[in-house]
Amino acid sequence: MMSVWWPQIKAVIRLELKKTFLAKRGLWIYLVAALPVLLFIAYAVATSNQHSRSARVARRNEKPLTYQDLLAAKAGMTREEVAAILGKPSLMLHWAENRPMGPQTALHVLHEEYRYSDGANDLFVELADGKVEAIHIREAYNLGQDSIMFAGVFQFFFLRLAVFFGCLGVFMNLFRGEILDRSLHFYFLAPIRREVLMAGKFVAGLLATCTIFVTSTLLQTAAFVWHFPPGARDLYLYHNHGLEHAAMYVGVTVLACIGYGAFFLIAGMLFRNPIVPTAAILIWEAVNPFLPAVLKQISVIYYLKSLCPVDIPSAPGTPALLALLISNPDPVSVPVAVLGIVMVALVALYVSSIQVRRMEINYTSE
Amino acid sequence: MNDRITFEDVSKFYGEILGVNRVNLSIPPGITSLVGPNGSGKTTLMNLMTGLVRPTRGQVQVLGYKTDDPEHLFRIVGYSTQFDAFPKGLTGFQFVYSYLRLAGRDAQSSEQLAWRALERVDLTDAATRNIAAYSKGMRQRIRLAQALSHDPKVLVLDEPLNGLDPLARSEMIGVFRAAAAQGCYVIISSHILHEVDVISDQVILLSNGYVVAEGPIRSVRSEIQEHPTQILIRCDRPRELAGKMIEDAHTIEVSIHPDGRGLLLKTRDADRFYLALNQIALNGIEIESVVPADDDVLSVYGYLIGNEEVVR
Repeated sequence: MMSVWWPQIKAVIRLELKKTFLAKRGLWIYLVAALPVLLFIAYAVATSNQHSRSARVARRNEKPLTYQDLLAAKAGMTREEVAAILGKPSLMLHWAENRPMGPQTALHVLHEEYRYSDGANDLFVELADGKVEAIHIREAYNLGQDSIMFAGVFQFFFLRLAVFFGCLGVFMNLFRGEILDRSLHFYFLAPIRREVLMAGKFVAGLLATCTIFVTSTLLQTAAFVWHFPPGARDLYLYHNHGLEHAAMYVGVTVLACIGYGAFFLIAGMLFRNPIVPTAAILIWEAVNPFLPAVLKQISVIYYLKSLCPVDIPSAPGTPALLALLISNPDPVSVPVAVLGIVMVALVALYVSSIQVRRMEINYTSE
Repeated sequence: MNDRITFEDVSKFYGEILGVNRVNLSIPPGITSLVGPNGSGKTTLMNLMTGLVRPTRGQVQVLGYKTDDPEHLFRIVGYSTQFDAFPKGLTGFQFVYSYLRLAGRDAQSSEQLAWRALERVDLTDAATRNIAAYSKGMRQRIRLAQALSHDPKVLVLDEPLNGLDPLARSEMIGVFRAAAAQGCYVIISSHILHEVDVISDQVILLSNGYVVAEGPIRSVRSEIQEHPTQILIRCDRPRELAGKMIEDAHTIEVSIHPDGRGLLLKTRDADRFYLALNQIALNGIEIESVVPADDDVLSVYGYLIGNEEVVR
């Protein structure tokens, strides 16, 4: 039978891909897919500007400085000790403060702020009356922090919102959209098993969403590493798991499309109003950390969180409930997570295949 | 394999609304017309026999195939629906071609069959235009092309003559007749009753979801005993003939035709009438023609649903 079904699935895919990629009602999906890319581009542009400013500061240094030189400045040093190590600052601010000491007395304090740079990293030295009070180093890039920032955007915006709603827009319309357009009978009048039709539509939806969102993931990664200096970029990509992380993010994106796609495919068959299932699935995914272990497994985000390569630590003082949402206290292994999503998707597709056989063409009741 | 389209005690309800009720049919090859006003159940019957809706009760089979088996059913069935919507962005050719590809055919044979179907409905010139730019008649024809494209054994056509100009109607009727002559089952619903009347081998008369009569139109008419048969007689001396015919005990009413060249007669016994007419003809009145005046679909339908105003 596969010799008949496969050409039929390909025929469905050809028709569906054209509709999905070029549908006016789906233009917003490109926008949500592009938003995180734009975010990282904006971040890269801002960081590049910062680098330019740092380079200008470094050029005005009395002597060339290295990152180790910047780290040599310590709190408690005198103005002269700092100058001996780092030279005359290229930027210097000073102001006076009258600090009240009693009813009629005030202490006159001279504040100074020196700025040094090695061309990439900036050192801010705060002095009060000639002694170093505080030191801040602004690093040009911080792979650890940047990776956590990327993971945060990926998990909390891209996966939970962009991919989620993108899959809603594509998969929910595979059948519901045809019913609203009154064109579903075109498929139902062809000599094709309803299950084969459903499979073809699902694969088409999957190809479309994977193309859109995997492209977005790759562009996000490219924008993310764009502002790194070449040496740091190589270090991140080839020696610090950067490529491995990128591949895992792509894999998670594909699995998210499979999982959410299967959910929204069946939702589009069962519900006339997309708001009801969307809200239900969104809430179900959001409350997943608070569900009993058995129910947790009937979820997509439960498995996706375990597959994300970078954990997002909760900041100290984060409320316990929020910390539970952010962290992943009981991650599952990669094979279990992949198998879990595939199983959840297969169950959803099985229910869809029963539903599609029962579907009738009755546009007037829609 | 069964050689009929059968409905066994089929009912269809849309919630609490009746579609059709307790339908038992066995449709033979040839042209079968579904006749009835809007809401009588014509489209529901067609959707039932193509599996677009499922019966609430009973069973439908098309030449032995169950209607919930589209993979096999639509290899022998082509359905031109009344739904005037198409997949977006397709040209006429792509619409027919895609349908054939969905059936699993290869590109080359799909292309050949698509062009042949477009030729049959005279749409080759407009084949590369987007369907969205088609007129109503062209959309009707492209649906017909799709239904015809794979040479189905069963053609189900919902209002196939709607929107067509007289020439196109005539051409389409020719297509239906040719298909029926080749042994196809052509199921047509139409409001244009006089055209249905001319082409149908049998009719199924529907009213409010019930089948009120079925079979060849003349046999349906002959079964309606409570209404006298109307006969139009063309002759050279209608008044003299009218005088003689009124003497027959079974003649109920005689009237001179408005054009003065014939008379319209109502009788309860058509056989006796024909015997009497033979006798009269031997007595010198020249009879040009004798034709039944109320065994057309419109008249029969009017008698059956009790609306005699329908009858001319």
